[in-house]
Amino acid sequence: MLRGASRRRPIAERAGLSGRRPGPRCLLVVMAAVLLSACSSASGPVAGPLYRYVVSDRPAPAAMQVLRRRVAETPRTLDPSLATDTMSTDVIEDLFEGLVTLSAGGKLIPGVASSWSISPDGRTYVFHLRPSARWSNGKPVTAADFVYAWRREVNPNTAAQYAQSLARIVNAQAIIDGHKPPDTLGVTALSPHTFEVRLVHRTPYFLSMLFNTYYMPLYPPAIRRWGMAWTRPGHLVSDGAFYLASWVINGHLTLKKNPYFWDAAQVRLREEIYYPVPSASSALARYFAGDLDFVGTPAFPPSDVGWLRRELGNQVRVASMYGTAYLGMLIHKKPFDNRDLRLALTMALNRRVLDDKLMQGMDTPAHSLFPPLPGFVRRSPAWAHWPMAKRLAVARRLYHAAGYSRAHPLRVKLLYMIEGVHTRSYMEAVATMWHQALGADIILRQEQWKVMLQDIQYKNAKLYWDAWIGDYPSPYTFAHQFVKGFVMNYGDYDNPAYQAVVKAAVAEPNRARRYALYAKADAILNHDAPFIPLYFYNANELVKPYVAGYRPNVLNLHLARYMWIRQHSLRQP
Amino acid sequence: MIRLVLRRLLVAIPTLLVIITLSFFLLRAAPGGPFTEARRLPPQVLANVERMYHLNEPVWDQYGRYLTHILRGDFGPSYVYRSTTVNALIEQGLPVDLTIGGFALGLALLIGMPLGMLAALRQNHAWDYVSMAGAMAGISVPNFVVAPLLILLLAVKAHWLPAGSWSNGAPDHMVLPVVTLALPLIAYVARLMRGSMVEVLNSPFIRTARAKGLPERTVILRHALRPALMPLISFLGPAVVNTLTGSIVVEEIFGLPGIGRFFVDGALNRDYTLVMGVTILYAMLIIAFNLIADVLYGVLDPRVRQQ
Repeated sequence: MLRGASRRRPIAERAGLSGRRPGPRCLLVVMAAVLLSACSSASGPVAGPLYRYVVSDRPAPAAMQVLRRRVAETPRTLDPSLATDTMSTDVIEDLFEGLVTLSAGGKLIPGVASSWSISPDGRTYVFHLRPSARWSNGKPVTAADFVYAWRREVNPNTAAQYAQSLARIVNAQAIIDGHKPPDTLGVTALSPHTFEVRLVHRTPYFLSMLFNTYYMPLYPPAIRRWGMAWTRPGHLVSDGAFYLASWVINGHLTLKKNPYFWDAAQVRLREEIYYPVPSASSALARYFAGDLDFVGTPAFPPSDVGWLRRELGNQVRVASMYGTAYLGMLIHKKPFDNRDLRLALTMALNRRVLDDKLMQGMDTPAHSLFPPLPGFVRRSPAWAHWPMAKRLAVARRLYHAAGYSRAHPLRVKLLYMIEGVHTRSYMEAVATMWHQALGADIILRQEQWKVMLQDIQYKNAKLYWDAWIGDYPSPYTFAHQFVKGFVMNYGDYDNPAYQAVVKAAVAEPNRARRYALYAKADAILNHDAPFIPLYFYNANELVKPYVAGYRPNVLNLHLARYMWIRQHSLRQP
Repeated sequence: MIRLVLRRLLVAIPTLLVIITLSFFLLRAAPGGPFTEARRLPPQVLANVERMYHLNEPVWDQYGRYLTHILRGDFGPSYVYRSTTVNALIEQGLPVDLTIGGFALGLALLIGMPLGMLAALRQNHAWDYVSMAGAMAGISVPNFVVAPLLILLLAVKAHWLPAGSWSNGAPDHMVLPVVTLALPLIAYVARLMRGSMVEVLNSPFIRTARAKGLPERTVILRHALRPALMPLISFLGPAVVNTLTGSIVVEEIFGLPGIGRFFVDGALNRDYTLVMGVTILYAMLIIAFNLIADVLYGVLDPRVRQQ
């Protein structure tokens, strides 16, 4: 069973706005947008004369190799075992290195482990660690450090929220449940540089998960000595390209190049500073003022893309991300226990219009669950290719078949969160489309994020906004959402045929055959319509032209070890 | 005077207890808990987390435990910032708020007082109208308008000052937040100062002083200023607290690591201990600064001292 999801983002953030808080910020976004667009119109439609740089191919001098980047919120912890939010995991990925890691383009490459072997039954992995791997204090990284870290993750006393992510390792579940001691976990240090892992089942995507923070090694003496405070600057010992130099919570977080990192010769940045800037408008202002080099997604609300492109040209980066937004439904309760109704609703939405008019083309319309992934051909339902008139006619027929009409319309509450200006307009558009096409009466209801989560989890919500950002590049991270019994299958979807296909896909070692099985699962979901797909996520980021080594990737992870600063100057307007 | 202080301190104890109790139970009554996340935790994991923070105990036991801990000055671990204690967060955030708040108040007094005095002395003249109109604008324009404007002009357009962040209190990073906070305060101080000065200048003892033939300088500085400061003192007590607690928006816009953001983040993430810690701190500050204002009042006004 796969339960891991360190990259599951808070819903509000996934809504495209970093903010999770209501109140002044929403105003601010509008305010600053108005102010900044005023400034943009002053400088005319010519591509940003104010912000054009003269950039050379050569790296800037060592003293200038400092990358200043924005994180949407202050990281909650730098403890790899405890991290659950993307802000923390982004920083931890620069501090620590696991058995495997990611290339600049997001491909899986060897990390601390230089090679590995997998037993024929796919259940035993032996990793060979590089002897050159070092902690930031110069001590070697050993297999024992991995054993320590993974045992700590599943130890009930650690109370790690993502402990379940390791449940595919022998005895992990029993340890989490408190039935067995942590040292019975199926991991062994065969030698200082040989690490063995034993799994309960064959897990073809196991390797692709190992870059996640909860699989990273830890330096035991630091934790033993400092306890909870081991993540403070001066205490934290890391094995990645950088070490922690200073950390003011909500202020800034400075990482410096780790001279002991095994690949330090390839790391050009001297320093990386993360600034937590929750409001997109403040981040924009600071980017324009030249205080930030790189603003990670979501850098701006979709409505701003037009003038930003005019002003900044190709500093605006939009890349596809591994995530899907959809409306969830309780499919065993009235009214959504009726498949005709679910199909009618999903068909009646003109996602092209929603995407063009509301999202300014910043997201990709979705008619099915699995987002684009290289090598994977997704199955859009047949109706997605019909002309809109035909779709509406069929939707109306299904709506009537389900027992609804203009005289007896569907009346239902649609729940979404307060945070995020454009989610609101999106939901209003959805409700309007349904009202126009079918006559359905949708009551829009906004709730604060935590309140909404509770309503969804206690099944008080029949129809609600939801989304999923994949944790690792495998369709399984999405397929899992609709497996019976999975904690996040809030809609209670339960189709034995779907589960059989997903189970077969999990056990299938051949990638092409595995992807074919997932495509079949996609088709089953399209037939049952247990949710209403809305759009696939795109990352929107701002990157100064002198930042080298930035490459869009599907997991949207940008490791600083690949980035550096080119020689540059601001062209005088 | 000492009796006044003692009495007020004694009254503060039940006041604080009521605040603590109310916020403790209100927080727990809010839907969703600190560990309600998009990914629902498996039951055993949730049980492990709750055991660690004693959230599995009856709420009265939690309350009792919390009270004994804060008696020792221990606000407990933060539930959301999982490697940090609330005390550490406050120790880190409070100096930031005190610094910018202090500078803003200082600036307000330095500019607002002379401005108000001048307006009072040139009553109903051009200077009076101009400065009071400016003050009115300073009070009416909210800081979430002033701050982006300042950023746009001075940081984005002119590149003179950074648009945000704290940078361990570097002076250039402090200018914009301090000015943003100070503008409405300057306006308040100026208006208060003008009002009370006008009142004092019309009172009989000033007429007496002038009749004695004292130079105008002496009349203003020795006789009029002290009584004219009284309303300002009673304003300053709550103003200090308002500046500290009301800097949330400014912290947010400029990305400052103050405690205001912890308060908001904590409430929305149901970080019980963090919200409690900041609430108690704010309550104590309010009580303390009101007391200080009252004591100062007594020092300046003999009539209050005698009562």
